[in-house]
Amino acid sequence: MAATGALTMAAPVPRKVRERRETRQVFYVRLVVIFAFVAVWEFLSRSGWFFADIIPSLVSIAQALFRLLVNPAFWANLQVTLLEAAAALCIGTFAGVVIGILLGANRFLGAAFEPYLYYFSPTPRIILFPIMIMWFGVGLASKIALGALASFFAVALSTAAGMRQIDKVIIRVGRSFRATPWQMATKIYLPAMRIPVLTGIRLGLGNALITVLLAETKLSNQGLGYMVNTIYQRFDIPTLYALLIIVFIIAGACNAVLGYVARRAR
Amino acid sequence: MGSVQTATRPGVSLDADKPVLIIDDVYKTFGDAEEAVTAVDHVSFDVKPGEFVAVIGPSGCGKSTLFNIIGGMLGEYGGDVRIDGERIAGPHPAVGMVFQEESTFPWRSVIDNVAFPLELRGVAKSERYDRARHFIGMVGLDGFEKRYPSQLSGGMKQRVSIARTLVSNPRILLMDEPFAALDEQTRLLLGDKITQIQQELKQTTLLITHNLTEAVQLSDRIVVMTYRPGKVKRIADIDLARPRTSDVVGSDAFGRHVADIWNDLREEASRGMQESEQVARADRRRG
Amino acid sequence: MRIVAVADRRAPLTATRWFPLTVGALTIVAVGVIFEVLLRIGVLNRYIIPLPSEVLAAFERIVAEEGVIERTGTSAFEVLTAGFACIAVGVPLGVLLYRFNILRRALEDWVAALAAAPIVLAYPLFMVLFGRGSMTVIVIAFAYGLAPIVLKTVEGLSETRSVLINVGKSLNLSEAQMFWKILFPSAIPSIFTGIRLGWTFCVIAVIGVEFLVNLGGLGQLINDLAERYDMPGTYASIGFVIGISMIFFIILEWVEKWLQPAR
Repeated sequence: MAATGALTMAAPVPRKVRERRETRQVFYVRLVVIFAFVAVWEFLSRSGWFFADIIPSLVSIAQALFRLLVNPAFWANLQVTLLEAAAALCIGTFAGVVIGILLGANRFLGAAFEPYLYYFSPTPRIILFPIMIMWFGVGLASKIALGALASFFAVALSTAAGMRQIDKVIIRVGRSFRATPWQMATKIYLPAMRIPVLTGIRLGLGNALITVLLAETKLSNQGLGYMVNTIYQRFDIPTLYALLIIVFIIAGACNAVLGYVARRAR
Repeated sequence: MGSVQTATRPGVSLDADKPVLIIDDVYKTFGDAEEAVTAVDHVSFDVKPGEFVAVIGPSGCGKSTLFNIIGGMLGEYGGDVRIDGERIAGPHPAVGMVFQEESTFPWRSVIDNVAFPLELRGVAKSERYDRARHFIGMVGLDGFEKRYPSQLSGGMKQRVSIARTLVSNPRILLMDEPFAALDEQTRLLLGDKITQIQQELKQTTLLITHNLTEAVQLSDRIVVMTYRPGKVKRIADIDLARPRTSDVVGSDAFGRHVADIWNDLREEASRGMQESEQVARADRRRG
Repeated sequence: MRIVAVADRRAPLTATRWFPLTVGALTIVAVGVIFEVLLRIGVLNRYIIPLPSEVLAAFERIVAEEGVIERTGTSAFEVLTAGFACIAVGVPLGVLLYRFNILRRALEDWVAALAAAPIVLAYPLFMVLFGRGSMTVIVIAFAYGLAPIVLKTVEGLSETRSVLINVGKSLNLSEAQMFWKILFPSAIPSIFTGIRLGWTFCVIAVIGVEFLVNLGGLGQLINDLAERYDMPGTYASIGFVIGISMIFFIILEWVEKWLQPAR
């Protein structure tokens, strides 16, 4: 007893030390990677040996970033893009959950239509943009429609899969306590499906955002995608980098927030 | 052998207590007419108030079908299952079910799991929490109210399920092999807990099981079923003194009851084993 | 023996796999017919939606006049070049991250962030860097398809069952033997899942960028026809591209299933 006690007392200390050392090493590796990247970048930019003009100094990118953030036009365009993406996600999620529940609840409907949805979902949605323009015009509506379509598939497919994955015994528990249909829906089915549905929404948001942005670069007169295009045509490379960095951060943040929500729901 | 009776039809029972649950000539077949499989074949027995009855039989004797019929999970069946003269044709408020599979809601804490049936009835939050806490204490999980099922062991999760069913205050507690997934020691200890609760609440209980020791340890009477089609082979009285604890497992009387019931069960179990081996051989022949 | 009889019973038609699929396909055809009727009687606007019969007729035209076969070849070349580059870089990178745990802990999250980043949006930047040609398309597709392969390689290697590794240790395998005889074979299914995802991303990127910047293969075809306001042609070419992509995905999935260990 005494020996094992001593062992378990002694064991945690070296592990903790080792973990701390590893965490420090991870930090150093990251630091080295970042530093090497910055150094190579600045060297290329200042020497002008390769990709002259196209690799601007990081200082000029930072300046461009600052100029963007104080530019009201940037905020107006950001608002348009976020509005489009949010509207697209709402429509796509609503339609996706409804269709997903139908496909998940009815075995025949699922077998008849889900394979088509499944193989259609990873095709490049942006090519449907010409049709969306014909139907909804060149304004916001066509981007929202395309974004909604893009998010619909992810939500519908994961909702249908989530519905089928519900543990059957949990449904029987609800029935055994004589839950009403409404109680079955709100207290059994929806909470039991929450994780796949949230995963679908997270994928759907990513799809909606990128699709809306790409559609804006193709044909638009507002939004961040439009801004990317005009900056490119002005050949204002530092600002192009700065804007893309901002968009990547926004996309990453949206993804992280929904990821956090999904983990909390677990 | 004096403690053993042959099966009696409920109507003939001379017992003073009126049975709360009557299973009268129940049968159930699955599949099409010509190739139907009879799962439950004209089964009759009853359960009196405060009594603990176990239904035991080999795999494939229709125990689970019987469980589902009594719980109202299978709409159509032949014969009658009656509670206070009312025929069961759907989940009945007097029956509380505990399932074999792990069935806690992973998205609810222990206390919200246990309070679930009260929530469905619209009981106010403070009251349902008070009552849930009472039953959480009864199954020995005080202090775990705020935990989630993923943080509990298998035995603890099954106790949450039992508390959740008890909180709905069922007249009959109906359990389908609730400890099947647990190890033998946990099973004996949980058996103690069940005995204790049953005596405290005078809870009428019907336990479906394939575990001999569990059935003898807990029951007042044991209904032994035959292998497919499931018929009542006999009903045995277990006259071990109450209050009981798992210590009873060591007693001579306990051993005699186990041996006695195994005598009947062995024949059925080996029939089941032979038939499933035949099926496996037939499958292999067909490739 | 009754159980055997039950198992022998033929499944009804509605329970087979093809019946529902046919119903699904017929429903899609039926929707086309309904559109045809509504367009012909003037309930729907023919200036927005072409007649489905015209779209079908346009398929022949786009094959004969628009060089669909060569364009498919161009796009396929870009997808395959980017795809194989992704494998050539992604799998060794995954092995490296698996081998050096510190590296993995430092960089795996960054690779995952890259996988979720809207890289295709940076296409103007890639055009500045690599010019207006196939190279740009290939580089974007490569950048887009790389991350899943890296991540799935790491995942596959680290999910090797520990009992297999212990078997290797008990046989005194060298590190190289351990990798080639045990770790790598057991990771192959996961690696191929990564390749399927990565190549799917490559298809999306190639066709998307071709469409957006109007160069090269199938994506450009759609753009051309849309700009000419050739409605049946646009619909037909979109249908063609979707069909080709779906066939590609089905083949990828089929190969992936084939590589799964027997269960």
